[in-house]
Amino acid sequence: MPVTEPDKEGVPPLLGSWKRIYALVLGELVLCILLFRLFSWAFS
Amino acid sequence: MSRLDWFVLGAALLFVVLWGLYKGRGATTGESYIGGGRDHRWWLVGLSIMATQASAITFLSTPGLAYVDGMRFVQFYFGMPLAAVVLSVTLIPLYHRLKVSTAYEILEARFDLKTRLLAAILFLIQRGLAVGLTIFAPALVLSVLLGWSIHANILLVGVLVMLYTVTGGTKAVAWAHSSQMVIIAGGMLLAGVMTAHRLPAHVSFSDALHVAGGLGRLNVIDTHFDVNNRYNLWSGLIGGFFLMLSYFGTDQSQVQRYLAGSDLTQSRLGLLLNAMLKVPMQFLILLLGALVFVFYQFQAPPLFFNPGPVRQVLAGPDAAAYRAVEARFAQARAGQSQQAEAYVTARHGGDAALIAANKQRLQQAQAESETIRREGVALIEKANPGTNPSDVNYIFLAYVLGSLPVGLVGLVIAAVFSGSMSSMSGEISALGATTVVDLWRRLIGGSQGQREVWVGRLATFAWGCFAMAFAEYAARLGSLIEAVNILGSLFYGTILGIFITAFYVKRVQGGTAFYAALVAEVGVLACFKFTQISFLWYNLIGCVAVVGLAWAFSLLRPPAQEAAPGQ
Repeated sequence: MPVTEPDKEGVPPLLGSWKRIYALVLGELVLCILLFRLFSWAFS
Repeated sequence: MSRLDWFVLGAALLFVVLWGLYKGRGATTGESYIGGGRDHRWWLVGLSIMATQASAITFLSTPGLAYVDGMRFVQFYFGMPLAAVVLSVTLIPLYHRLKVSTAYEILEARFDLKTRLLAAILFLIQRGLAVGLTIFAPALVLSVLLGWSIHANILLVGVLVMLYTVTGGTKAVAWAHSSQMVIIAGGMLLAGVMTAHRLPAHVSFSDALHVAGGLGRLNVIDTHFDVNNRYNLWSGLIGGFFLMLSYFGTDQSQVQRYLAGSDLTQSRLGLLLNAMLKVPMQFLILLLGALVFVFYQFQAPPLFFNPGPVRQVLAGPDAAAYRAVEARFAQARAGQSQQAEAYVTARHGGDAALIAANKQRLQQAQAESETIRREGVALIEKANPGTNPSDVNYIFLAYVLGSLPVGLVGLVIAAVFSGSMSSMSGEISALGATTVVDLWRRLIGGSQGQREVWVGRLATFAWGCFAMAFAEYAARLGSLIEAVNILGSLFYGTILGIFITAFYVKRVQGGTAFYAALVAEVGVLACFKFTQISFLWYNLIGCVAVVGLAWAFSLLRPPAQEAAPGQ
């Protein structure tokens, strides 16, 4: 089953490709985890 | 509540209902009623997804959790961005390509009718029961703290929601969601700003964070792996990933929200927007709870924030003992406030040794207060056998009612009502859609014209009534409520396993997946009944069990010859 076939809608309205959008979403999660870790460390 | 609070509350609720009715008019076919016209922009999709997930109890209990246990609950949402990306790559394009109205339609194309019906019925059971609790829990809190009738509260929320949901369908729900999210965000943001403002003048925001952190309320990340620990980095990333994958990928209450997007791009962006906002939003709500905790370092808190069980103790033989514990608690908290003041003063002085010494004394004072509080809770538990002696859901609203200014109280209560209404509307809309598409349309048949609109309205109305009836009944469930609360995790893993088997285990046939799902579900229920495994892991266990069993069963049968959907 071609569950990962290319998006027929073409490029997303920002960042130029869906891969970059996904990288942004996952990058934000990693950044949040790192900042939360820093936050806990700074105030504990 | 003051007149101004009543005015703010009434105006907010009236606006939500009228906005939903206005924007939801014009559904002429079953498809437009259930699919919302499929013309929603990404931001509307994102707000609608967020509002469906965010129930009133989320806004009541999350600050309370931070108050009692710290901020580690935010880790629960770490699986969400991962799940949103996976769904954007896999399921959402498939749903759009096949132009389905419910998630369960594709299971018939891949397997057979009984597997589709199994998944649809599991959804109807778990979501049908859960929707009652989404209106019962906040109604209970409001009734206890404000003295409102719980029955009137349930009836009010139910009737308001059904006014626009039954008449306008998915489009009305989505537009009402957008207004509800504005009320919720505005109410919580202002409450946070006002809480920081209401700290003593000499206590800066940085001081407040150091007090909260010093007393263990800013423990956001826990990297220690423990399957019995509900909230740590690994349970959030792994268990939370499977829970979110199932919730956003296979739960019709969410699938319906992004299928209303005008195209694949709008659906994807809506889900991804929600994934990006959710973790920071939950962090801020938890931070608000931590600030409330700091606020009560300088003000005397009650021993127990839920006055209902306290009244039970005071009416019983342990009244004198409870009063004595209360007096000791008040004395201990007065000492603790002095220690908090000393710690802040030491921080301003900058002497590291003095800061460390005062911090340690503050921690000792907190531990002493907690010990006394536990004595009081034990008396409460004794006077209220079989109930959960937790006041987590009451802390934030008790603080709001006692400490926030007139007008803002009404706005926060409007936010609580909005949360209750937003999740209920998304859920009964999805229950109605599944009933129509997977049961009525598939088993009985019929056109998708005006008649199906009326069938949809009838089904949505019936589920709304069921939700209100179950909410009324929930008051008698006692400790069973906790079981119903984790109902989603009892079924989500199995449903997700069916979908994953459909996509990735090609040799599995319909009957095989069906029986694997039944056996896996029994296994998950056994885990719930006989083990201490934290509920987030049920999602992983159920999913892996279905895929593994389906694969094992398929080895006993010839490989499937049928084509999968999309091929």
